[in-house]
Amino acid sequence: MASFLATYDFLLVSMVLAAVLALTLYLPLMAGQLSVASPGFYALGGYIAAIMSTRIFPPGPGLYPVSLVLLEMAVAAVVSGVLGLAVGVPALRLRGIFLALATIAFVQILGVVALNLDVTGGAIGIFGIPQPFSSAIQYMWLAVPLLVVSMLFVARLERTRTGRALVALREDELAAAAMGINPTYHKVLAFTTSAVLAGAVGAVSAHFINTWNSRQGTFDTSVNLMAFVLVGGSRTFVGPVVGGLVLTALPEALRGIAGVDVLPAWLAAFLRDGRLIIFGILIAIGTVFFPHGLITPGLLRRLGRRGARPG
Amino acid sequence: MSAAPLAAADLLVVDGVTCRFGGVTAVNEVSFAVGRGELFGLIGPNGAGKTTLFNLITGLTAPSGGHLRYRGEDITGLPPHRVAERGIARTFQNVRLFGELSALDNVMIARHVRTRSGLVSGVLGLGAARREEHETRERAAALLALVGLDARSEERARNLAYGDQRRLEIARALALEPELLLLDEPAAGMNAGEKRALSDLIRSVRARLSLTVLLIEHYVPLVMHLCDRIAVLNFGQLIALGPPAEVQKHPAVVEAYLGDST
Repeated sequence: MASFLATYDFLLVSMVLAAVLALTLYLPLMAGQLSVASPGFYALGGYIAAIMSTRIFPPGPGLYPVSLVLLEMAVAAVVSGVLGLAVGVPALRLRGIFLALATIAFVQILGVVALNLDVTGGAIGIFGIPQPFSSAIQYMWLAVPLLVVSMLFVARLERTRTGRALVALREDELAAAAMGINPTYHKVLAFTTSAVLAGAVGAVSAHFINTWNSRQGTFDTSVNLMAFVLVGGSRTFVGPVVGGLVLTALPEALRGIAGVDVLPAWLAAFLRDGRLIIFGILIAIGTVFFPHGLITPGLLRRLGRRGARPG
Repeated sequence: MSAAPLAAADLLVVDGVTCRFGGVTAVNEVSFAVGRGELFGLIGPNGAGKTTLFNLITGLTAPSGGHLRYRGEDITGLPPHRVAERGIARTFQNVRLFGELSALDNVMIARHVRTRSGLVSGVLGLGAARREEHETRERAAALLALVGLDARSEERARNLAYGDQRRLEIARALALEPELLLLDEPAAGMNAGEKRALSDLIRSVRARLSLTVLLIEHYVPLVMHLCDRIAVLNFGQLIALGPPAEVQKHPAVVEAYLGDST
């Protein structure tokens, strides 16, 4: 167990953080809005943590205080929320693919801004971000509570007035409006909540990765997050979480399988070097044969019924 | 047709409302007033502008001209959710339920304007929000029972039979606790027995909840039987308005609409 944790410490924390990021894509999707803006807020949160921990709170001897990381997360969340509101109000007047395109543009703009500002370290970025923990696996103390709280939040949300309003907008925006649900307000609310969460994840990630630059939170991240949600499932919050965990682990798992001795050399080589190809094939197969993803509300109901059955 | 008289008892006043789509005038200077507690029928051939008129009243379409007043307040051009907040609920000609959701969820969603809890209070489930959630569920269940769908509350809306879907839409509209209920062809696709049951339902609901009902219906016997007054639209224009017996004999109506059924 100890050696497993030591070998895969970085991967395990990445998996948990990816699951939280997948939830940031799920929130607007609850209201039927495909927004891929969260990598932008993730990048912003990372820069806020990086700047605060390297410039504002000068690193003393020993470990960086966890309380300051929490403070950075809070600041990143608030700033992302404010920016989310400012971007969301005009952007969410767009529908469908136009919203997706606008949010891609937003992520690109933030990347270019980060690349050209002095405070973000330009192309080099910010490095030597101080560590609050002595080993990577201890980041679980931040990542796991963040995931658990986000999951509880979304799970509860689905059973409240606000959550029902979001789902109603996803199902039929016109009928929802005729039932008194303000479409713009609720879309912006979901978008802003997503931004808040993405900013907080970015702040943790900046410390975790130790360095932050304009290659963090790019369009590539947007595509990955979409894959998490598409493969995992977009109709229940469990889907994106499972998608984030599994798809982040997949490349490493393939590398592990390639190491098994009995495999012919060509297959081992393919598994080791072609894992991005396999990743792509899985996404394609998943979207064709499981359009609602692997985890659907129906599947959860069936599992729940089986679990509830006595004996 | 000149402007309708503005009596104090009028709940909804449609005043010279026009709606043009490009070159087509779907509704042409239509004026009438619906009294409080009235069951008001709206009939006319296909394409006469009945549904467009509903869309104008509920804010789904902005009128090209004229005014809409509800409880004396100008509601012309308000967005749909603001109109709904004021107590106007509707059903749709081509049923628009939240198909993937349960019947109960469909009705609970429509309690939106009568409930308060926000994002944070709802998620935390604090005292008031918890009570409200409980009440929302109870009321939704009661409305399902009212339309006879209590046994199917967990069924997904899209899996319900067509007549059940229409009744579910009525339950959902009633969840807004409206003062004015707009029913767009509620009996479409129902058999004779279902139509009779629906007619009884509309009558009893109106009495019990002191509703004002505006009803579009193609099935003439239902309208004649049920409504206090009827307005007849043809090619976007109001061609007759009055009690069923009067409207039935109106020459323009006979020619435009009832000609083949008399």
